[in-house]
Amino acid sequence: MGYLDQEKTDALNKLKKERGVGNLDSEKNPFDYHAREYGTMPQDGKRAPFQWVSEVAYKNVHRIVARGYDTTELMEEGYGVIEVLFVDYQARIPTIEEEKMLNYIMIMMLEDGLSGPAAISRIVAKSKTFLTQACGASIMAFGHAYGAYSSFGNRVEDYIKKAEFENLTLGEAARLLVQKDGIDEALGVSSLMLKDPAAKRMIARAEKLGVAGVNIQFMKEVVKAAQAVSSEPVDIDMLGATGAVMQDLGFTPEATWAILAITRSFGAGAHYIEEVERGDLSRMGQQLTPREDYDGPSDRSVPPLKDREKVAQSAICKTPEEWKQRFEKMKEVRGSGFSIIEEVADPSKKSGMKKVGKL
Amino acid sequence: MDREPTLRRKTALSYKTEEKTVMRGYNLSDMAEEGYSFYDAMFVLFQSRIPTEKEEKMLKYEMGVFLEHSMSPSAVGAIGVSAGRPNLPVCVAAAISTFGGVHGPGAAHGYMLNKYLERGQKEGKTVDEMAKTLVDEYMDSGTPVMGMGQPQHIDSDPRAEPIHLRQEELGLEGVYLEFQRALEKYFHARRKADGRSYVGVNVVGSGNTALMEIGFSPNAGWCIGSVVRGFSCAAHALYNMKKGRAWGASRNEPMVQMIDLSMIKYVGPKDRIVPKQEERQEYAKKQKEEGEYKQWVI
Repeated sequence: MGYLDQEKTDALNKLKKERGVGNLDSEKNPFDYHAREYGTMPQDGKRAPFQWVSEVAYKNVHRIVARGYDTTELMEEGYGVIEVLFVDYQARIPTIEEEKMLNYIMIMMLEDGLSGPAAISRIVAKSKTFLTQACGASIMAFGHAYGAYSSFGNRVEDYIKKAEFENLTLGEAARLLVQKDGIDEALGVSSLMLKDPAAKRMIARAEKLGVAGVNIQFMKEVVKAAQAVSSEPVDIDMLGATGAVMQDLGFTPEATWAILAITRSFGAGAHYIEEVERGDLSRMGQQLTPREDYDGPSDRSVPPLKDREKVAQSAICKTPEEWKQRFEKMKEVRGSGFSIIEEVADPSKKSGMKKVGKL
Repeated sequence: MDREPTLRRKTALSYKTEEKTVMRGYNLSDMAEEGYSFYDAMFVLFQSRIPTEKEEKMLKYEMGVFLEHSMSPSAVGAIGVSAGRPNLPVCVAAAISTFGGVHGPGAAHGYMLNKYLERGQKEGKTVDEMAKTLVDEYMDSGTPVMGMGQPQHIDSDPRAEPIHLRQEELGLEGVYLEFQRALEKYFHARRKADGRSYVGVNVVGSGNTALMEIGFSPNAGWCIGSVVRGFSCAAHALYNMKKGRAWGASRNEPMVQMIDLSMIKYVGPKDRIVPKQEERQEYAKKQKEEGEYKQWVI
């Protein structure tokens, strides 16, 4: 489309200026609102045209290629999903031992009973959706507590690097970590697997296959450090075991996060199917919330609209003291958001792709 | 620590205690220790059974070949979502959610085959006859035949025939492959007779046939296909998050970015004056009467 020609632009802007449009005449505005162009920006002929740039894969009419390997040829040569994960995320074919280890982990991650991903999948299923919608939703359950592979892994990486740069033993670095952050939800050490040997069996399998590395070594030190300060028994849990082994297999924390969340999504798909098979659909307004579960303000009458000014309470705070007072008061209003802090950071760590696209 | 389930349900899939996680009766840790593959576990999950070695090999092939497809709606969805830099799982969720009625419609293909197989049984028709009936009915009504055609791989999907061949090589030919092969035969013949161009089988047509043959339901097959694609979409999103520009609109990049302003082409109503509130009622009534707006309603 491009921009509207100047004559028409001027005429339309003049008409609008004469009519006046709210505050758009204000001198405080950063530019003249009555001199703006109409239409879309012309195409940029100076820079290279947009293309989907990828280091991961390409395809043409006759082939699909991941990191240089034709995917059909990979399958014909007897490779499968496990190997393609190494290809996509690490641009390499794994050793047989590495393939066995990832296979082991993915079996373990396939099912976790009625935990978050399965529960979400089932709730979505009850709305009569596509299965894929439920599978997608199940992946949303993976955050920085449940399936906290990003938080866990990046912190483990940081402390291993710290040990290396500051000439600390892994034990010393592990003690520093536990001292600083305590036994939190991303440590990989908890009371969750005291009776279930699965996490320890996974570590033993990694050692037996010869794929154990510095991440497992470090986690063993973290376990010792956590046990030394914990008032209750703790040991390595599934987050700690799967996270450490995945990183010893060469996967980044983010790759681990994605691969394991997706693996769980297959199980969530089965939960969707079972929910549809067994359950009734859910309609809007159907679910009741029992009065006894409610602990908000007591029932009160809605004031007549004409009395609004009498009962309304303004939130405007004229001084920092007023602001602070209100902020503290609002913390008592559950669901208002005043008692939580969510730091929304850019999780990508690094941006910029200036090496591609030059004309 | 509260270990109560988030949701209480009767389930035949799994249970989890402090001691173990059990899926369809098998302790998952024991399965992994015994050396079963992830593909075996998929049979246990969806079919409650250990597969034969050949079935396991077929699933391995199908899932592996479907995993990566470079730029398809799913990968583009993941990349688009990643531009705002949410947490990575959100990009993957979006990617998997792109699988619908057109992109990788595995369930639709499966239901189509099941419907005609069942009808054939009731009507006493052979598989071959039902395949012809399906093709004729679909093409007569202008309904796309599921599993045929791919907008990028116009000479037939490079993954499709090799899947059929592997299924045959493994000796896993059953009623589904017979049906699908017959469907393709009649489909090609019909298009040729109608003077239309060649349209090959796609990866859903062949891959889903294999999945159904080795015992997966249409929805289980759909789950397997769409979720396995999530693995590569996550890689594409991650690449863009780690090495690409956030937002996708920077003017400092040497290549025009995905949502650079110049990428927008607008074909809607022309720029017009916003009516003042005092003009609004009359303006709105006139607009409704004239009805010009109807061409823009979506």
